[in-house]
Amino acid sequence: MTSNESEPVAVEPGKADDDLANAARRLFMQRVGSAGVVGVASVASAAAATAATAAAVGLAKPAWGGATLRDAMGDLFQQHYQRMSDEEMQAALARIERKAKRKFGIDIHCEDTKPMPGTYFGYALNISKCRGYRECVAGCVRENNQGRDSQVQYIRVLEMDNGDHDLNHSEHYFDPETVPVEGKWYLPVQCQQCDNPPCVKACPVGATWLDPDGIVVIDYNWCIGCRMCMSACPYWARHFNWTEPQIPADQVNPITNYLGNRPRMKGVVEKCHFCTQRTRKGRQPACQEACPTGARVFGNLLDPNSEIRYILEHKTVFRLKEELGTEPKFWYFTDEARARP
Amino acid sequence: MDQDRMRQAGRTALLVALWVGGNVCLAQSGSNADRMDAIAGAEVGHALRPTGAVQLPVGTTVVVPPALVRDAQVHAPTAVDPFVAPDGQPPQTEFTGYPQRLPPTVVPRQPALAFYPCARCHQYLPVNATPRVLAPAHEVGLNHGAGRFWCDTCHDLNDKNTLHTLRGTAVDFNNAWRICGQCHQARQKDWYFGGHGKRLYSWKGEPVRYDCTHCHNPHRPPFMQRKPQPPPPVRAGLAAMPPPVMLNSPVWVKHTDRLIEGGNHDKQ
Repeated sequence: MTSNESEPVAVEPGKADDDLANAARRLFMQRVGSAGVVGVASVASAAAATAATAAAVGLAKPAWGGATLRDAMGDLFQQHYQRMSDEEMQAALARIERKAKRKFGIDIHCEDTKPMPGTYFGYALNISKCRGYRECVAGCVRENNQGRDSQVQYIRVLEMDNGDHDLNHSEHYFDPETVPVEGKWYLPVQCQQCDNPPCVKACPVGATWLDPDGIVVIDYNWCIGCRMCMSACPYWARHFNWTEPQIPADQVNPITNYLGNRPRMKGVVEKCHFCTQRTRKGRQPACQEACPTGARVFGNLLDPNSEIRYILEHKTVFRLKEELGTEPKFWYFTDEARARP
Repeated sequence: MDQDRMRQAGRTALLVALWVGGNVCLAQSGSNADRMDAIAGAEVGHALRPTGAVQLPVGTTVVVPPALVRDAQVHAPTAVDPFVAPDGQPPQTEFTGYPQRLPPTVVPRQPALAFYPCARCHQYLPVNATPRVLAPAHEVGLNHGAGRFWCDTCHDLNDKNTLHTLRGTAVDFNNAWRICGQCHQARQKDWYFGGHGKRLYSWKGEPVRYDCTHCHNPHRPPFMQRKPQPPPPVRAGLAAMPPPVMLNSPVWVKHTDRLIEGGNHDKQ
C-alpha cells in the first residue's frame, strides 16, 4: 500500500505530504542497495534492474532485507519489547506491516496483544484420544505463519510402541496409510510453557521471557540467533530459522501479534506461544480448534470452574520430564479417572 | 422345557440389567454424585459383563450364558440405593444434570441429519419392532452394544422424530448425550465438565460443545482410521532421516548386514 509506505512514522514527522521525494529516495536506496550487495562492478547493471528483479534472478537479496533504509534503520535501533514506548511500538508494528506488504504483497494486521488480567494459561492433552492425525500440526502451521519448507513446526507428534515411553524410540516422520497404527500410540509435543523455563535462563540477551499470563514469548527482533535456548530446552520445542521462511502469499495469516505469529525473519528462534493472537482475545489456540477428536483442552488455570482444572483434579495426569523441575503448564492425561481415595 | 427355562432366565437377567441401568441415572442426580457413580458403576459392570448374545426385544430368541443367570439369582445388590422406592420399583425421574453445573450448550445436531424429520417417511410405514435388515435409507448395520440393542432401545418407535430413554422419556436429537449417558456414565460426566468431547469457539465463558453423535456414529461409535496429515518436511540441504528401524532398534538389529550365512555363532 503506497500510502502506508509513504506515511511517516514517528521518527520523521512533518514530511507527510512529500510523497514524491519519499518515492524517489526509496527507489534510489533500492538500486544503490542492490548494487552494494552484488558488488561495485555491477553498478551499471544494477541501476537498470530493480531490487525485485535482482532477487528474482537469484543474484542476491535486495539491500536492507527488502526494506527501505528507513525501515532497516528502524529495525536496527528498535528497543527491546519491554522497553519500547507506545510510539515506538506503533512504529515497529507499522514497519512489520510494511515489510509483509513488500515480501508477500498482502496487507497484514499486526498488533501488540497484551495479556488478559487474571489469566494463567494451561493445556491438557488426552493421549487416549490422540490418534496421530496431525491435524493440530497443519492448523498450527497455517495459523502461525511458519515457513513451509524450513522444518519449523511447533508441534511434533511422536509415535511410540505401546508400552514404551522412551522418547528416544519415538518417530515423528511417521506416514502410514492410516492412523492410528495397531500397537502404536501418539504423543504430541510442543512448547510446555514451563513455569520455570530453562530457555529463559539460557538466553544471553533476554529476548525471551515468561509473560504475566504464563506464556513464554520471544521478541524476534531482539533474538540474536545464538540458539542457547534450543540447547536448554528439554522438549525440543524451539526452532531456528536457518532460511528465510517461505510462505505462499495466499496462505499468510494476516491477523498477527508482535509476540506471536507475525512473519519471522531468517536467523531467529521461534516456538509455540499458545497462539497469543487468539487466546489473549478469548479464542481457542489453533491446535485445539483443529483437533478432530477433542483431545486438546486449553484454559485458565486460575479459574476453578475451567475445564482444565476439572481435568487436573479428576484425571490421572502427567507432565513430560517433570523430574527436571521445569514445571510445565502442559499436562497429558488419559480417559481413566483418578482413583478415588 | 429346557428352552422355556432358558428364556425365563434371560428375561430375568435383562430386567436386572435394565433396572441397574435405571439406578445409574438416578444415582447421578443425587447430591453425592461421585460416590453414587462409583457404586452404580460397579453394579453395572457386575451385571453386564457376562452377557453374551442377548437380543432385544424380549420375547425373541434369548441366549444367556449360565454364569449370568447364576449371578442374577445369587448376588444381591452390593449397596442399598436410598432412591429406590420400598416396593423395589425405580422412581420415574431422569438424569438432568449434575448439581454443581448446568449442562453445556450443545451444537444443534438436527440440521445435520440428512433424513430428518424421520416421520416424513415413517408416517406411512407401519411400526415394526422385529430385528431385520433395514431399508437402505438407514445406517447399514448396527455395531454397538454387542447385540444387546435394536432400534427401539434409543429411537421411539411411535414417534420417529425423537429418541427416548430406557424409561421412555422423550429426548430430541439435539440432546443425544442424555441417551448415551445412560450407559456411558463416566464419559458423560467427563463430557459434562470438559474432560471429554470437543469444545468450540472460546476457551472462556460457558462452554459450547459438540454432542456425542457429532463425532461418534451412534450405530458404530469408534472413530475410523484415516490418512494423517503429511510428515514434517526435511530442511533444505539436509538428508532425509534414516528409517526409524535403524535409529530405534537394538544394536544387533542395526548391524544385521554383518550377519554371516549360516549363523555367526558357529564361526567363532
